[in-house]
Amino acid sequence: MGTAPVVIEQDPTIPLLSSETGTDVEDELRNQLMVTNVQKVFSWARRSSLWPAMFGLACCAIEMIATANARYDLARFGAEVFRASPRQADLMIVAGTVTWKMAPPVRRIYLQMSEPKWVISMGSCSNIGGPFAHGYSTLPGVNNVIPVDVYVPGCPPRPESLLAGLMLLQEVIEEEHQNGVKQRPEPSGDFSAMLPESDPIRRELESLFPPYLSVDGAPRDRRTGALPHDQNFFSTRSV
Amino acid sequence: MVFGAGLAKGLLTVIKHVAREPITVQFPEEEREIPPRARTNLVWFVERCTGCSTCAQACPDGCILVETDPREDGSFLVQRYEIDFRLCMYCGLCAEACPYEAIQVGGSYTNVVTNPNDLYKDKEALIGLANEYLDGHDWIYPNGQPAVRQEVHPAEQRQHH
Repeated sequence: MGTAPVVIEQDPTIPLLSSETGTDVEDELRNQLMVTNVQKVFSWARRSSLWPAMFGLACCAIEMIATANARYDLARFGAEVFRASPRQADLMIVAGTVTWKMAPPVRRIYLQMSEPKWVISMGSCSNIGGPFAHGYSTLPGVNNVIPVDVYVPGCPPRPESLLAGLMLLQEVIEEEHQNGVKQRPEPSGDFSAMLPESDPIRRELESLFPPYLSVDGAPRDRRTGALPHDQNFFSTRSV
Repeated sequence: MVFGAGLAKGLLTVIKHVAREPITVQFPEEEREIPPRARTNLVWFVERCTGCSTCAQACPDGCILVETDPREDGSFLVQRYEIDFRLCMYCGLCAEACPYEAIQVGGSYTNVVTNPNDLYKDKEALIGLANEYLDGHDWIYPNGQPAVRQEVHPAEQRQHH
């Protein structure tokens, strides 16, 4: 039924010529089309509209606020929209001392942010613990809890330092999209050297690292985070 | 009270602010003038240092490491001088304590890194940073004194100094 489609055999050694101009089609196309990598566009879009989570822990947050204000104007980098919800943010500026009490919420906020997400560690305290590095109450570096892309030294860093950190992060994002891999190391989730066995904060932190187990050791649903016997609205399983 | 006087007053304020220049400092292109006592990075000058370790004793974080060998004339040869800028809280107590002003506050503040261990500076790195600072500041120390231009390579300096 019907005619077979006509297939014109083209000799691959002869370049395709445009009938009107007689030039190479590829050259002609290049004049009319902009050929680019999709990842390049993604990287441009992502690095020039980094929305930080509105989240400050200590005195560094004051400098972060100063960076967002008119004198330094974070809006020039497309990062002025401090989002109150981690769901809408893609950059986390850990500004200040991270205590053990605060470590699980920091990890939880990080997990609640949608991919792709990046982290700037701002100030000596979140870099490695700063003056409290040998103390009992402070996390020795926020990179024990969340993966960090850029470290901004200072106590607190000047707004210029944070802007320099943001610009370095933009370079990191561009590189990341070209290579397709994230350069930052993931935290191990092993707190045995820092906290005792029965510590409730250690148990809470370990529950926030994969495999995501509930407090009684039962595995959670990977997609919804629900317990197996949980019969909530989103769960597809029945009891 | 004339009708509209308050309105005119408000409009005058608006006009004043429309005319003035924006206060935003376009950071990467232009930099704001840093106050002389701002807590920026530390710069260590090997040619001023006598190896007395007063800075290391003054440091509340213990982030300065000094290791010296005595010379025959009684002075010290600085073998190791290392600053852990990960720990440093830029308080400037070392710079205040140093009797020879070998360590001074006033370095760069844009040394952001992707690996925190890059912030640990050993002697060679500190000499490089100090030379970088002096090159950019017309060979004048942060405290205003002129510096003597040095042509010795840092690696040789370690043996001869």
